[in-house]
Amino acid sequence: MAETVKGFKLEPKQLRIYGLVGSVVGIYLAYILNSVTGTNIFSFVGALAALFGVVMGANAVRRVCAYGIGTGVPSIGMLSLGMGVVAVLFGLSIAEQLGIGLLGVIIALVYSLIFGYVVGLIANRVMGFNIPVMEEGLTDLSGAGTLAILGWSFAISGSLGYADIVHSVINTGFLAIIFICGGLAILHPFNANLGPDEKQDRTLVNGVMVGGMSTIATGICALMTLGLAAGMVQIVVGFAVWYYFFVWYFRLAKRDASAVVGTGLLPPTVQ
Amino acid sequence: MNFDANTIIYLLEIIIGGLLVGVGVHFVPVGGAPAAMAQATGIGTGTVQLAAGSGLTGLLSAGLMMHAMSLSPTFAQDGYSIWPILLTGAVGAMIMMDATMLTGSWIYAYAVGAPFASAKVNYDPITMFSQPPYVAPGTVGQGIPTICFVSGTIGAAMGGIGGAMIYFPLVLINHNPAMSAVFAIGIFFVDAVLASWNIQGTIEGFHDPKFKKWPKAFKACLVSTAILALVAVLITPLVGGV
Repeated sequence: MAETVKGFKLEPKQLRIYGLVGSVVGIYLAYILNSVTGTNIFSFVGALAALFGVVMGANAVRRVCAYGIGTGVPSIGMLSLGMGVVAVLFGLSIAEQLGIGLLGVIIALVYSLIFGYVVGLIANRVMGFNIPVMEEGLTDLSGAGTLAILGWSFAISGSLGYADIVHSVINTGFLAIIFICGGLAILHPFNANLGPDEKQDRTLVNGVMVGGMSTIATGICALMTLGLAAGMVQIVVGFAVWYYFFVWYFRLAKRDASAVVGTGLLPPTVQ
Repeated sequence: MNFDANTIIYLLEIIIGGLLVGVGVHFVPVGGAPAAMAQATGIGTGTVQLAAGSGLTGLLSAGLMMHAMSLSPTFAQDGYSIWPILLTGAVGAMIMMDATMLTGSWIYAYAVGAPFASAKVNYDPITMFSQPPYVAPGTVGQGIPTICFVSGTIGAAMGGIGGAMIYFPLVLINHNPAMSAVFAIGIFFVDAVLASWNIQGTIEGFHDPKFKKWPKAFKACLVSTAILALVAVLITPLVGGV
């Protein structure tokens, strides 16, 4: 393996800051770009913002699940999105009622972080898990689920208004796609890479890769809600993200493999 | 948002629904990956998938019942009645779970060729058949014995009633079936995952020693659903209808 592949190692705190700040700033940036230019072409920035949250969530999954939770990794991803969907609906709805529509993102995020911490406390104290990073991990996961749903919802609706998101994401049922694709982006990386040689960079690169595929899916949804241009931009961006990170992931997988051998062509059939 | 007696009733309904889901999960014979390889008793998939499946079918059938009620000529005076809705939710979830267990059993019996046996009890409490001779060495039972089938049906009924009990008040609060269903699914997943963590992924049914741990899940689901329910009743309908 003469080829050197770019790897990285990030502390959970660093990743949390990148995830929270990157995602929130990204969602607001997408909103500002959309409203300044008066189009919905920049909705794809919301999908890119969701990727920051996904990376934070994927890292939390690998920290918590490394202890073994007994039910398989998918359960924690579904929990994350379950907490997220409630927080998003609540945040957007309450902000609309109070007349501070734009702060819905912050309200949803704060509620989800608190709720995630409470669920972590319950898991440790009531269920007796005794996983030291449980509270921290579930706080991250809950926030990640919320940001993923918010980002991809923005990518489909092109707006942060409660009414718009209800009309174009919830009433159409596209939320189910966000739920499963977002869940996959958060839970799949660790599920696919777990084992004694699990490496942080390989897992997180895999997370972004799946996030790119989810962006393609939301792009197809956006074709219907936002029109051809915004949808196509999103599909192309999603494909670019997927391709770049797939190649990177492939090289990381080769780096971590003990040997890569070619098997050649299939032997000719003996008659 | 006005807080009145009705709001408190809605709050209680959602909390009870969440508790039913949390306890109902303990009845469902979840085998996880070992059961998929016929090395453990139960259905060969995870708790969350089963809970989600039965909960969603419960929501769907409850929604159908609500729609059927609204077609009644006397709907304007009568309004919704909660009991048929809960019952339909339970029946929908039971049909889903029983269909899963039945078709799963065909595969275990005719494709894998494993005799159904439970490793947790010596005699099936319902059929009184002896179990240990049929448990293959190195496994913890195979297939879905009668007791697990009955237990799973009870669990699905509880999950379906729970799902309908979360969905019904939410529709009355926000008048938007899609949003209520999404919200109910969120609450459903939280409770189902907490309960499945409590049983550590696998359980055979109410005869399993792990079933005695249900008070822990009850407490956990009570706290988490209470926090979610408080938020759920604050959501208001959109201005200008759905």
